[in-house]
Amino acid sequence: MSQQRVLSPRRVERAGGQPPPTRRRGLLGGVFGKHPIGSAFVTPYLVFLAAIFAYPLGFAVYMSFHDYFFTAPGAIVDRPFVGFDNYAAVLSDPAVRRAFGNVGIFLLINVPLTVGLSLVLAFALNSAIRWRTFFRVSYYVPYVAASVAVVGVWLFLFNADGLVNRVLGPLAPDPSWLVNSKLAMPTIAIYVTWKQLGFFILLYLAALQNVSKDLYEAASMDGAGRLKSFWNVTVPGVRPATTLVVLLATVTGANLFTEPYLLTGGGGPDGASASPVLIMYQRGIEQGNPDVGSAIGVLLVIGVLLLALIERRFVGREGR
Amino acid sequence: MRIPWRFLALLAGAFVFLFPFYYMLVGSLQTEPDPSIRGAFPDPGNLTGHNYSEINAEINLGRSLLNSGVFTGGVILGTLVFGVLAGYALARLQFRGRGAVFSLMLLVQVVPFQLLTIPLYVLIVRSYGLADSYLGMIAPFAINSTAVFVFRQYFLQLPEELFDAARIDGAGELNILWRIAVPLVKPALLTGVLMTFIGPWNEFLWPFLITKQQDLQPLAVSLSNYLTTVSARAANPFGAVLAGACVLAAPAVTLFIIFQRRFISSSLESGVKG
Amino acid sequence: MKRKKLTAALLALGLAGTTVACGGSDGGGDADAAATARGEITIWMSNNKEEVAWGKQMVAAWNTAHPDQKVTAQEIPTGKSSEEVIGAAITAGNAPCLIFNTSPASVSQFQKQGGLVALDSFADGKSYVESRTGKSAEQYKSTDGKYYQLPWKANPVMIFYNKLAFAKAGIDTVKPPLSTYDEFLATSRKVVAAKGAKFAIYPAPSNEFFQSWFDFYPLFAAETGGKQLVADGKSQFASEEGKKVAAFWRTLYADKLASQEKYTGDSFVDGTAAMAIVGPWAIATYKGKVEWGAVPVPTSAGKPAAETYTFSDAKNVAMYSACKNRGTAWDVLKFASSKEQDGKLLEGSGQMPLRADVAGTYPEYFAKNPDYKQFADQAARTVEVPNVPNSITIWQNFRDAYSKSVIFGQEDPGAALDGAAQKVDQLAAQS
Repeated sequence: MSQQRVLSPRRVERAGGQPPPTRRRGLLGGVFGKHPIGSAFVTPYLVFLAAIFAYPLGFAVYMSFHDYFFTAPGAIVDRPFVGFDNYAAVLSDPAVRRAFGNVGIFLLINVPLTVGLSLVLAFALNSAIRWRTFFRVSYYVPYVAASVAVVGVWLFLFNADGLVNRVLGPLAPDPSWLVNSKLAMPTIAIYVTWKQLGFFILLYLAALQNVSKDLYEAASMDGAGRLKSFWNVTVPGVRPATTLVVLLATVTGANLFTEPYLLTGGGGPDGASASPVLIMYQRGIEQGNPDVGSAIGVLLVIGVLLLALIERRFVGREGR
Repeated sequence: MRIPWRFLALLAGAFVFLFPFYYMLVGSLQTEPDPSIRGAFPDPGNLTGHNYSEINAEINLGRSLLNSGVFTGGVILGTLVFGVLAGYALARLQFRGRGAVFSLMLLVQVVPFQLLTIPLYVLIVRSYGLADSYLGMIAPFAINSTAVFVFRQYFLQLPEELFDAARIDGAGELNILWRIAVPLVKPALLTGVLMTFIGPWNEFLWPFLITKQQDLQPLAVSLSNYLTTVSARAANPFGAVLAGACVLAAPAVTLFIIFQRRFISSSLESGVKG
Repeated sequence: MKRKKLTAALLALGLAGTTVACGGSDGGGDADAAATARGEITIWMSNNKEEVAWGKQMVAAWNTAHPDQKVTAQEIPTGKSSEEVIGAAITAGNAPCLIFNTSPASVSQFQKQGGLVALDSFADGKSYVESRTGKSAEQYKSTDGKYYQLPWKANPVMIFYNKLAFAKAGIDTVKPPLSTYDEFLATSRKVVAAKGAKFAIYPAPSNEFFQSWFDFYPLFAAETGGKQLVADGKSQFASEEGKKVAAFWRTLYADKLASQEKYTGDSFVDGTAAMAIVGPWAIATYKGKVEWGAVPVPTSAGKPAAETYTFSDAKNVAMYSACKNRGTAWDVLKFASSKEQDGKLLEGSGQMPLRADVAGTYPEYFAKNPDYKQFADQAARTVEVPNVPNSITIWQNFRDAYSKSVIFGQEDPGAALDGAAQKVDQLAAQS
C-alpha cells in the first residue's frame, strides 16, 4: 500500500481534485443518487435557507417588477405591476452604470492582486521561519478590525498632506487620492485588498497543508529550483483553493458597500467611487424606493453569477 | 552568509500591514490627537489610558462582550454543525438535487444583505416573533454560506481513495465524516470558524434593528452608539474612536493568536497509509 | 448545464417567496378607538447625552404623576442609520408611539408609508401646535394640510469663528467682517494666509443627502429672505440668488479655503478650520477647547442680523401609527413640549425649543447665558426643509449636482443647478 504513495504530481492532482469518471451504481439506483443520506445532511441547511432567505429574496424579486414601497401594516396602497420599467430606469441611469463600471475596475485590481499576494504570502508563512506567529498575526490583523475605525486611519494617511503624500513628495497626485476621479476607486481597491488579505492567506494556508511534502521532494530530486517547484507543485496543488479565493474575492468585491460609504462619504467626486450596493442602499432604503433598489440588486446578482461562471471555466477544474 | 531575503520581504510586508493598526493603537493611547508625522512615535508624556476608561464608564463592557459572545457563538455553532454536514454532502456525496443545492448556496452568498434587510426584518419580527431576542439576532446568520462553500472546497481536496477504502470497510457516512474527513480538514474548519466569527462580531446594523434594549446589544452596537454621540465630547474624539476599535478587535486577534498554531494538520500520508 | 440548475433554483426561490409574501397582513387599526386609548407607551429618543438626560427626567416626572400610563424610553442613535431603523420599524409594525428624533425631511416618506398619525386627529391637535410654535408652524404642515409632526427643537445654523485664530491674523474678534460674501472671502484669505488655521471653513464635502443643509441651504435661506428649496411644487434654487450662493462656495473651494476631503473628527475643535457652520448644539463640544464667537451667515450684499434667515436644523416629534394608546401618547407629547419641559431642554442642551418667542419666554436663562441669546433671536427666522414628496431623493439629486460642480469643479455651478432643478421639479410633482 505504501508503495503506491510515491506519486507523480499530476496523478496526485487528479486524485486530489477529481473523482474517477465512472462509478458503479448503488442499490437505490439513480433515483436518489448514490448516497441518499446526502439529502439528510443538507436538509438543516435547506430549512435554514427556506425559513430565512426564501421570503426576502423572492420578495425582492417581486418588488423589482412592481411599483412598490414599504408601508405600515394595514395601509392600503396601489402597487401596480410594471414589468421591466424599473430595470429600464436603472439601466439607463448614468449613475448606476458608473457604479457598475467602478466595481469592474475594483475587481480588475483586487482579484488578481489578492490571489497573487495571498498565495505567495501563505507559502512564505507556511515554512519554518523565525517569528512566524508574529507574521501571521500581522497579516491577519487588518481583517479583524472593523472598517469603521480603520478607515479613519486610512483617511488620515491618504489625506492631501497625509503621510503617503509627504513621502511621495512631487509624485503625489494632485487632486489627492480619494478625491481624484481616476484614483478614488483604485485607492479603495488597494484598501480592501490590504484589509481582506489575511482571510485569503488563511485559506491558502489551510490548502497548503494538503500539498504533500513528497511532491516537493520529488520535484527537487528532478532538479527544480524554488521558483519552479512553486509554480509546478504549489500552484496546481492548491487549485481548489484558488477557485475559492477567486470566487469569494469576486463576490465580496461586487457587494462592496462599507468602504465607499466610509472612505468617500457616499460616492466620491462625481460618483467615481460609488458601488452598486451603495446606490441600492441610497435609492432603496434612504429614498424609500425599494423597487428600484431591488432591480439594481437583481441585476447585480445576475452579473456576479455570470462572472462566477466565467471564472470557474477559466480557473476552476475540480468537478461540477 | 545567506541574506534572508524571504525574512526581510516578509518583515517589510508585515510593517506595511501593521502600520495602520499600530497607528490605531498609538492614537487610542494619546491624550491629545497629534495629526503630524511625529504623532506616529509619541512621546511618553502624551500617553494615557484615559480613552479606554472613558469607554468603560459609558458602556457596560462586560455585558456587551457577553452579548457579542452569545451572538457570535450561536452563529459559529450553527455553521460548524450544519455547515460542515452540508459542505461534506456537497463535496463527497452524490444525491439527488446536489447541483441545485450548490447553486442555491452560491446564490445566497452573492446576494447583498442590504437587498434583504427590511423584508427579513419584517419576517423575523412579525412572522416569527423574534424581536428583542438572541435568536432573532442569530437567525439570519445561523449558517454561514461562505463557510459551507469553504468546507466543500476542502473536502473536495481529499483523495477519493480514502473514502473508497472506508466505504468498503462498511463505515456509515456519518462515521466517515466524523472520524476520517473532519480530522483531515482541521485547518479548513478553523478557517471557517475564524471567518464566521468576524461577521457577527463586527455586525452593527442587524442586532441594532432587532433590539433596542441596551442590555441585549452586542459590543459592536454599543461601541457604535458611543462613537456617534459621546466621542465628540471626549477629550480626544479621534482617540476615543480608535480605542473603541481596538477594544472590538482585541478578542478576535487574541483568538487567532491562540488558534493559529493548529493550522498544521496531520499530513495526508498518515491518513492513507496502512 | 449549470445555468439550467441556476434558473431552476432561482425560480424555486422566487415562487416560494411570492407565496409567502401573499400571506395575509393584519387589518387596519381602529384609529378612533386608539385616539382615546390610554395605557403604557414606548418612546425613542436620540442618544445625544444632554437629550438623554432631559428625556430621563421627563419620563420620570410623567411616570410619577401617571403610574397607570407608564412610559418606557429607549435610545436610538442619531445619524445615518436612524431613518433606516425607523422605516424598518414602521414596516414591521413595531414602531414606538413617539420618536423624539424625527427628521422633518423624512416625514413625507413616513407619512406616505402610512406610518404617522396626524396630530389634527386630536381635538386640540392643530391648535396646540400652532399656538406653541407660532407662525413658523406653517412650514411643518404636510401637503394635505395636516400636521404629522410636532415642531420640537431647532438648532439655527450660524457661523462660528475661532477667536484665537482670528486674533492671530489681526482680525477683529468682537465684530469680524463676515456679513457680505466679499468680506467673508477676504477674512478667510487673511486667516489662512496668517496661518491661523489650515482652512477657513470646513463643511463636510461628502455626498450624503443631508450635507447641503450645512453649506448651501443656510446661505440660500439668508440670501432669499426665507425661501425653501422647493416651494409650490417648483424648485427655487436655480434662481439668481441660488446661483450666487453656489458661486460663493465655489470660490471657497477653488481657492482652497475649504477642503474637498472628508475629515475625521471635528475640524473646528482641532483647529484645522477657523470657522464652522453649525448650530448651538455644538457649543457643548466646544466648551473649554475653542474660544468661539458666532455671527449670522453671510449674504451677497450684507443684511442686518435681525433680517437674516438660516436653516433650522430642527428635530421634531412624530406619533407613529403602530401606537395603540394614542390618548396617552398625545398627553405625553403635550407634557414633553410644555413650557416647563421646554425650559429644561433649553437649560440642559442649549438647543432652541421651537416656541414662539423663545427669548421672551425664558428671560432668566438668557440673562445667565448671553452667548445663547443670538441663537434665540435667530430661531425666529429659520427655514425648514420643504415638506414635499420624495424629499430625500430631491436632496440627494441636489447634492449630487452641487458636489460635482461646486465642490469638485467638474461642471459649471449654474448649469448644474439648472439640471438639478429640472429633475427636482419632476420629483416634487409626483405624489
